[in-house]
Amino acid sequence: MMSKRLVVSLVTVMAAGIIAPSLRAQDEKWNNVPPRRSAYDGRKSSGPAPRRDMSGIWDAAQTLGVSGATEHPALLPGGRGAEGGREDETGIAKPLPYTPAGLEALKKNKPSGPGVRQVDSVLTNDPAGKCDPLGFPYMFLWELRTLNVVQTPKQVIMLSPFYGNYRVIWTDGRQPPKDPDPRYNGYSVGNWVDDYTFVVQTTGMLAKTWLDHAGRPHSDQLAVEETYRRVDRDTIELTMKITDPQMYTEPWLALNKIPLHLQPPDFDIPELLCSPSEFAEYNKQVGGVVLRDSSKK
Amino acid sequence: MPNKRGIVACLVAIAAFGAPLFAHHGAASFDTSKMVMVSGTVTEYVWTNPHVLVKVDAKDDKGNITNWVLEAWNPVTQASRGWTKATFKPGDDVSLEINRAKNGQPVGEIRGRIVINGKEFKESL
Repeated sequence: MMSKRLVVSLVTVMAAGIIAPSLRAQDEKWNNVPPRRSAYDGRKSSGPAPRRDMSGIWDAAQTLGVSGATEHPALLPGGRGAEGGREDETGIAKPLPYTPAGLEALKKNKPSGPGVRQVDSVLTNDPAGKCDPLGFPYMFLWELRTLNVVQTPKQVIMLSPFYGNYRVIWTDGRQPPKDPDPRYNGYSVGNWVDDYTFVVQTTGMLAKTWLDHAGRPHSDQLAVEETYRRVDRDTIELTMKITDPQMYTEPWLALNKIPLHLQPPDFDIPELLCSPSEFAEYNKQVGGVVLRDSSKK
Repeated sequence: MPNKRGIVACLVAIAAFGAPLFAHHGAASFDTSKMVMVSGTVTEYVWTNPHVLVKVDAKDDKGNITNWVLEAWNPVTQASRGWTKATFKPGDDVSLEINRAKNGQPVGEIRGRIVINGKEFKESL
């Protein structure tokens, strides 16, 4: 018979082996790597959701973060990374409901991001290609990785070290501005519609920003509704609805119940900033060198 | 311009790896339909945004040396795959499987096997 102590030791060693990846991530206090999506498969809830609470470090658990351009079935003609499909996005399953003006605006945007309209990186007019502010909702529809969410009595503050973005969502009962002076991140107000559902309305975004990394357009009439559903202690499901009557004939979901996973409170999110000088150096060494048609330079 | 036959040690059908999973920033410039193996000596390792670069001097069958610029993703994404700022160092003998620039320049995206000083480097994907 194995002694009790030996059995305990063996179980401990086996358990350590199974959960080694997450332990390893926590061993280092800095630049933590979030677990992969598969780490959450079959994981049991650690408890019920706290009431009206969004605070914590939340990770979208994707290899490259959630990307609206790739998550939505209509957002990437031809599939992930493929160069098929049609430039005007017709002939695909569930195309986005563009208005004629929306389609015109789409054609003017030359993305370096995924999809059939992807151009050489030095030819893009993507604001991200100049390290311009992404604005909202672009910052959430391109590589939504890890968010640090801070909740105060009057605000929910979302810090995204990806490109150094932050958002302030007012929860003090104020109404959205009636005649907003447009700004990159717009104006956000949030309400708890029940103890576990936080709904954010954002308006007043600058029309020059893009909706996502694939170059979908929006106008100054854009209204974004986010629904954060706290499923349990560990998980929030995020849904994002896009409404913009100038560009789209009807509202559509850019994100649909994307799970955000709670990380340990000492999780240190690595920074990932866009530096114009680093980007210029990259274009000098790579982007400009690989240009397919140098006459376009 | 590098010798077409040289430098490139072998071509591997993309079928072996399936379709490319992600559309890389600027991926339109690279031929994602096939893999190319570049073997040589690391001259510089640049651990920075927007893309980590590994520069490799590779010799063709005539003895000509070409300096390849091979890019990965950003440091955060590479870290999630197990790379660090010390994964490569100048002088390392490496073989890297890449998608090459469509215009034929000695530039590529690291997409497949990584061998460093004879040892296979397994990404934690």
